[in-house]
Amino acid sequence: MSRANLLELHNISKSFGALTALRNLSFHVEEGEVVGLLGDNGAGKSTTVNLISGIHKPTSGHLSVDGRKTTFTCRSDSAEAGIETIYQHTALVDSLSITRNIFMGRELTDRFGFLRQREMREIAMEVLQNAVHISGIDSPDTLVGNLSGGQKQAVAIARAVYFKKRVLLLDEPTSALSVRETEALLNQVLKLKGENVSSVLVTHNLYHAYQVCDRFVIMSHGTKVFDVQKADTTISQLTEYVVLT
Amino acid sequence: MTPILAESAAPRSRTRRQSFLGQIVAMPAGAIFLVFASLQIVCIVGALLYPDEFRYLSPQNLTILMKAIPVLGCLALGAGVLMIAGEFDLSIGSVYTFTAILMASLVEAGLSAFIAAPLGILAGLMIGMLNGQITLRFGLPSFIVTLGGLLFWRGAVLLYNGAVQVRFDPEPAFSSLFAGSLFGINAAFIWIILFVVGFHFLLHRHRFGNHVFATGGNRAAAEAIGINTGRVKLVAFAIAGGMAAMAGILATARVGSVQPGQGAGLELQAIAACVIGGLSLRGGRGSIIGIFLGVLLIHTITDVLLLLRAPGFYLDMFIATLIVLAAIFNHLIERRGLA
Repeated sequence: MSRANLLELHNISKSFGALTALRNLSFHVEEGEVVGLLGDNGAGKSTTVNLISGIHKPTSGHLSVDGRKTTFTCRSDSAEAGIETIYQHTALVDSLSITRNIFMGRELTDRFGFLRQREMREIAMEVLQNAVHISGIDSPDTLVGNLSGGQKQAVAIARAVYFKKRVLLLDEPTSALSVRETEALLNQVLKLKGENVSSVLVTHNLYHAYQVCDRFVIMSHGTKVFDVQKADTTISQLTEYVVLT
Repeated sequence: MTPILAESAAPRSRTRRQSFLGQIVAMPAGAIFLVFASLQIVCIVGALLYPDEFRYLSPQNLTILMKAIPVLGCLALGAGVLMIAGEFDLSIGSVYTFTAILMASLVEAGLSAFIAAPLGILAGLMIGMLNGQITLRFGLPSFIVTLGGLLFWRGAVLLYNGAVQVRFDPEPAFSSLFAGSLFGINAAFIWIILFVVGFHFLLHRHRFGNHVFATGGNRAAAEAIGINTGRVKLVAFAIAGGMAAMAGILATARVGSVQPGQGAGLELQAIAACVIGGLSLRGGRGSIIGIFLGVLLIHTITDVLLLLRAPGFYLDMFIATLIVLAAIFNHLIERRGLA
């Protein structure tokens, strides 16, 4: 299976003063691939997420998207490249409706900046019904503050789907979810993979990762220690690498 | 599976049986509307039953109400937009006086009021932006920065003008535009209605309003999605300052003079109106209709107590009680919303 490399990290190092968070890290994400980025606390996973989403700049090395070298200086750069980061505490506004959250910062307006509310509402309804199946949401007018953790993440994913993102970066997505919500989220990731959307699942939880990922990248002490296709490994081997390296 | 379904079905049927009143309360500003409507009904019935003792519906009283509401209304609209964006402005009372004195003294010096009034508004906008710049540049709580502004501009009034009143004697066209009447309705009241409608569309139907709510509701999220929250807040500060100046114009055109001490305490009344109208002190929640109903409620209660010849301290005590009750109520709603 040779697919195009959507996102590549080339020999990336990142230091914060005397502290070296990442050393010579390289890995790639292919089109329509689900990659599990695994590692224990302090392995450098969060720094990697921040780097890919444009919050941190690498000290050395570079990123490339579609084979072209790029630098992200802020989050909107990565968003423009089609990368959407979905954080544990998702970036939604509780006091606004689902529709307004989906279109936040990217509102559909007329020439004078007035909102095309009906159109946005219809799109939101469609995205909620078709792109993501969220149990228990019956109206796009529901305030996000009234949703559960899993529902909120689903809204964030819906936003990414609607704006045609190509890579979802999910940072510890399952840590605050119930069992049922976790199941729904993982299914969502698989469904998007079917639509050629890649995902990077950054997590502690090997079992969740094993359920959906095609490939695993294990990090330890700021660098990659293992990179393996799912077919060539077992969960106990993965555990060994996370724990022992 | 079945027991879970049964359990989740119970609250659903309860919400479906929710009364008409319950639905109104659940709407934004619904509860305050109910309070306001009930108070109006009581007052109107009282006035019809005792037309001589309780002159609520007399033309004089209605005119007084219509003249009093716009000044606090302008202040509260500006302060409210800023509060939804997540910041406070305590200086608007002082800015209101300062810009009014500026305008009146320019007119006294021979300038046309049609030039002096926009200059007053410009001064208000700039003072608001200054508050915003200091707050944002140094990452300070706006509460502290604008507390400084309150004292500074109060002092500036005395420095610029001294503790004497300034007469305001504009051309007749200006007076009729801001203090005249149209079809028996006070001009200032028409202005405030226009502002309420304009602000409603700006805040609830325009992209800018969406950004204001996003900025106040979750600044990190708004920032992450690419909204320039600093600029949104700065514009909101400018609006608060500009509306304070607008309040100054309406008040000055009505009275025909400016007292150096007239704005004291108005900033707190404006914030009170916002809280009564359902705005959250933490930002991100509220509605323009709510703010306006808050203003109407404060003035109706004040008016009723005056008509009943209650001593002045009752006014403060009533408003105080109302603010605290409104805050408790809003807090309960917020908690339910976040649960």
